[in-house]
Amino acid sequence: MTVGLKDGLKLAGVAIVCFCAVFVCTFMLNFYLDVAPLRDTVSEEAIALYEAQLATAKFCSAITGGVLSLTAAVMLLFYLRLYIDAHAAQLGVLKALGYSRFQICRGFWVFGLSVFLGCAAGFGGGWAAMRYIYDSLLIEGMGAIAPRFHTELLFALVAAPSVLFSALACVYPYFVLRRPPLELIRANGKKQKKEKPLPNSKKDRPFLREMCLASLKSKKLLVFFAAFSCFCFAAMTQMGLSMNELTDTGAVMSYMILAIGLVLAAVTAILCVAALLRANRKNIALMKAFGYSLKQCVLCVLGGYLPFAILGFALGTVYQYGLLMLMINVVFAGVESIPSYSFNVPVFFMTLAAFLLSYALLTTLFARKIGKVPVKEIMLEE
Amino acid sequence: MISAKDVTKHYGATQVLRGVSLNVADGDFTVILGASGSGKSTLLNVLSGLERADGGSVQYDGLLLNDLSDKQLTAFRKREVAFIFQQYYLLPHLSVKNNVKLGAALAGNGDFEPILDAVGLRGKADAKPSSLSGGEQQRVCIARALAKQPKTLFLDEPTGALDEQTGREILDYILRLQQERRFTMVMVTHNQNIAETANTIVKMNSGKIVETVTNGAPKGAYEIGW
Repeated sequence: MTVGLKDGLKLAGVAIVCFCAVFVCTFMLNFYLDVAPLRDTVSEEAIALYEAQLATAKFCSAITGGVLSLTAAVMLLFYLRLYIDAHAAQLGVLKALGYSRFQICRGFWVFGLSVFLGCAAGFGGGWAAMRYIYDSLLIEGMGAIAPRFHTELLFALVAAPSVLFSALACVYPYFVLRRPPLELIRANGKKQKKEKPLPNSKKDRPFLREMCLASLKSKKLLVFFAAFSCFCFAAMTQMGLSMNELTDTGAVMSYMILAIGLVLAAVTAILCVAALLRANRKNIALMKAFGYSLKQCVLCVLGGYLPFAILGFALGTVYQYGLLMLMINVVFAGVESIPSYSFNVPVFFMTLAAFLLSYALLTTLFARKIGKVPVKEIMLEE
Repeated sequence: MISAKDVTKHYGATQVLRGVSLNVADGDFTVILGASGSGKSTLLNVLSGLERADGGSVQYDGLLLNDLSDKQLTAFRKREVAFIFQQYYLLPHLSVKNNVKLGAALAGNGDFEPILDAVGLRGKADAKPSSLSGGEQQRVCIARALAKQPKTLFLDEPTGALDEQTGREILDYILRLQQERRFTMVMVTHNQNIAETANTIVKMNSGKIVETVTNGAPKGAYEIGW
């Protein structure tokens, strides 16, 4: 009632993150469930690799599933906040008419549909890729393993997340909509905050710097997405390329990690840019009307996020190095065919160059979008 | 009967209502008239249970609104009152019919479609709000409010966002429906001419009622100046 089906299906970012999480977890956990009972058939020489492969499957599922579920949850909350902000007046009127919070919020379950679509597609994709993954994880002496279907995985990776995220989509607005109906109608969703008086040292800040900080403050959650986007890009790209050099059999896995990293980085970056553009349309239109250049407008909106993007990149680099060291030196410690690993400097510089190039590209695209912002139309909007 | 006694209301350090007392009889059409900032909308919100008074009391058919919890106030609004605001706030993904049904469902009113005829929107029952003009959207709001079968209808500048001709048309619909169905109506406006359509005119200034006029000969929507 309160949310249209179309709105519920529009959360492409959440669906893609869920797809990636379930895609990886499906074949990793399926592999684990298929291979775990075969311990007795593994030869003495292959037992170390067998143990390492099982540990990898568990480890990858836990890390990917955990991190991406958390990301999807944060993304869902972000989308819900945007939806509530955009429709606060309508929701306020429903409250004014006498609808209870429970009656209003139960309609938000439809946001779980995006999660269902992402998870279902991820599960299907995981199954489609299963054969190639099993081939790449082949353990010498065990022969080929045919994938078996595990109903419990379908429940755990598709049904349970859909239900849980639908519940989250109902619970979050239940707390946000605690505010009185009039406050929702008047403020149109934005909670009125008392402005603290600025200290004298901050009163004379240049206008563009002030705008940049205001843009950053108005969408604090986007700091997380900007940093996460760069984290994914740095970590997954370097990990994928380094893995490809480390082992011949890891080609499928490394390309997959690379692809997932790029998809996640792109999705979160697009989400950031789209949200920033939407939130700053009026400011940009006003700045354009006053004669500020496109470059100044872009710096105003995107500039504040650059330090967090660099921080995300640095953390991603450290994370992938730590994770590969852990895998090679701890999980695969007893496996003879695994070479030693040290920080891959050429891959780091390649990734850094790609990062800078992507940033420049994103800035250009953003400038183009800003260039298309219709000044008069926006200023005349209510 | 709505009865307010010595009602006060503050927003921070600003006192918006300064000891307002007012009675609205059942079936009456009362207009609260005042300039911007006079406290008329705040008074409407307090009378309708959308906001609580800081001091004084508001009684609705003997029920003291001041003492009600948020949950009880929601139940009160569900049972007794409906609203029409200056902005339409229709749910954009629902059709006209389903937006009206939103109001009807609260009252368990299954027979709400005649109200679409009453506001002249039968032919647009399946249209989405975005395809309607401002006047048509406000007519959907009227239908949504009346489908609730409220005892009292509160209106906050319902013609404020409309041009003169559409405003008259909307006012005409509201007046006709009020006379047919005899619900109590409290409307806030800054337009002196619109006030002439009411039975009782309450004039406000600086958070106080400065004059209450009983209008012996209320005019129709097409009889007033604008």
